[in-house]
Amino acid sequence: MTENFKPKITLFHCINAFGDADELALNGKDTCEIQTVKMACSSMVKDVFLLRAFEAGADGVVVLVCPEGQCRFLEGNIRAKKRVAWVQNLLDEIGLDGRRLSLGNMAAGDNAAADQTINNLLKNLAEVGPNPAV
Amino acid sequence: MIVGEQKPIAEIKAIIAPYKKILIMGCGTCVKTCFAGGEDEVAVLASALRLACKKDGQDIEIEEITVERQCEDEFIQEGAPAVSRNEAVLSLACGAGVQALARRFVKTPALPGVNTTFIGVLEKQGVFTEECSGCGNCGLAVFGGICPVTRCAKKLLNGPCGGSQNGKCEVNPDTDCAWQLIIERLRILGQMDNLRIYIPPKNWQPSLSGGPRKMVREDHMI
Repeated sequence: MTENFKPKITLFHCINAFGDADELALNGKDTCEIQTVKMACSSMVKDVFLLRAFEAGADGVVVLVCPEGQCRFLEGNIRAKKRVAWVQNLLDEIGLDGRRLSLGNMAAGDNAAADQTINNLLKNLAEVGPNPAV
Repeated sequence: MIVGEQKPIAEIKAIIAPYKKILIMGCGTCVKTCFAGGEDEVAVLASALRLACKKDGQDIEIEEITVERQCEDEFIQEGAPAVSRNEAVLSLACGAGVQALARRFVKTPALPGVNTTFIGVLEKQGVFTEECSGCGNCGLAVFGGICPVTRCAKKLLNGPCGGSQNGKCEVNPDTDCAWQLIIERLRILGQMDNLRIYIPPKNWQPSLSGGPRKMVREDHMI
C-alpha cells in the first residue's frame, strides 16, 4: 500500500447499535475518511447499496449491526449478515476482493467494538489497496 | 413458476464483451420471485458489471429497465425506446423472454443472463424445487397430486422401485421418494385404490420431443 493511501470508508450502521460517527476514536484521525449511512435497522442493508458505495468511490465498506439475538426487529442483523456474505462473494467474483467489506456486531454504545471493526478493515485495505474500480 | 439462476458474472462479462452500451432488462414475474432477474437483481448486476469493467479498464455504459413480463409483446414494447438506445440487451428473463425480445427487436442482439432451469415452487424460504416437467399429459389426479414423472428419479408410473430408505430416494438420498409421498397422500385422500390403476408406458409425444410444441386456441383468434 502506498504511504499516501487514506482509505475512504462507507459505514452503514443500525441506529440502535451505534449513534454517531463523531464518537469513534478513529474519526478525525488521519487514518481514513468515514462517510456514514444510518439505517433504522441493519436489515435495510441491501446488496445494491453496498455495491453502489463502492461505485461511489469507497475503498472499504463496514456494516455495524446489533449482536445476534439482540436485534429489536428480531432478524434484521441476521439478514444483514447474509447479505454482506453474498456481496463479499460477489466482490471476489468481480475481482475487487471481498475483504473490502466487513460486518461488525456491537452492543449499543460499545464504540470500542466499532473502532475494532474499522481497524480490522483498515488492515485488510492496507493489503488490498485502493478501490481499483474508481 | 419458471425457476432460473443468474449466470456467473465471468460468463456474463464474456457475453457482453463485444458491446459498449448495453441494456439490462429484468422481468417482474417468475425470475423476480426466484431472485434471478427482477428489478433488484438488475440493479445489483448492473452495479457489479460497472465495477468489474471499470476495474479492467473497459468502457461500458449500462442502462437498466424491468418490465412486468418479458414473454409478452405488450410488455416488452414498453422497453422499445431503451432498446433502441443500446447496442445489445442482456435479458434476465427465462429463455422464453430472451427469445421474445429477439423476435420483437430483430436488429438488437438479445443475450441471456439467466440459465432457465425448471418449473417449480417455493418449497420453503429460499428453496425452490422442481415439480413439473411439462410432459403434456398430466396424471396428477391418479397420483394424489404428486408427480412421479418429475419427482421420481426413475420416472416410474406404477409404484415404487423398492430401493428407497427411510423415505429417501436411492438415486439421490437428499430427495424424498416420490412414491412414498404419493402413497401417503392417497392414504390421506382415501384413494389407495388408485394404486391398482395400471398406467401404460408413457406416450412422450406431447412432451418435449420432435421440436417446439404449439397450442392453438381458435376461440381466442380474431
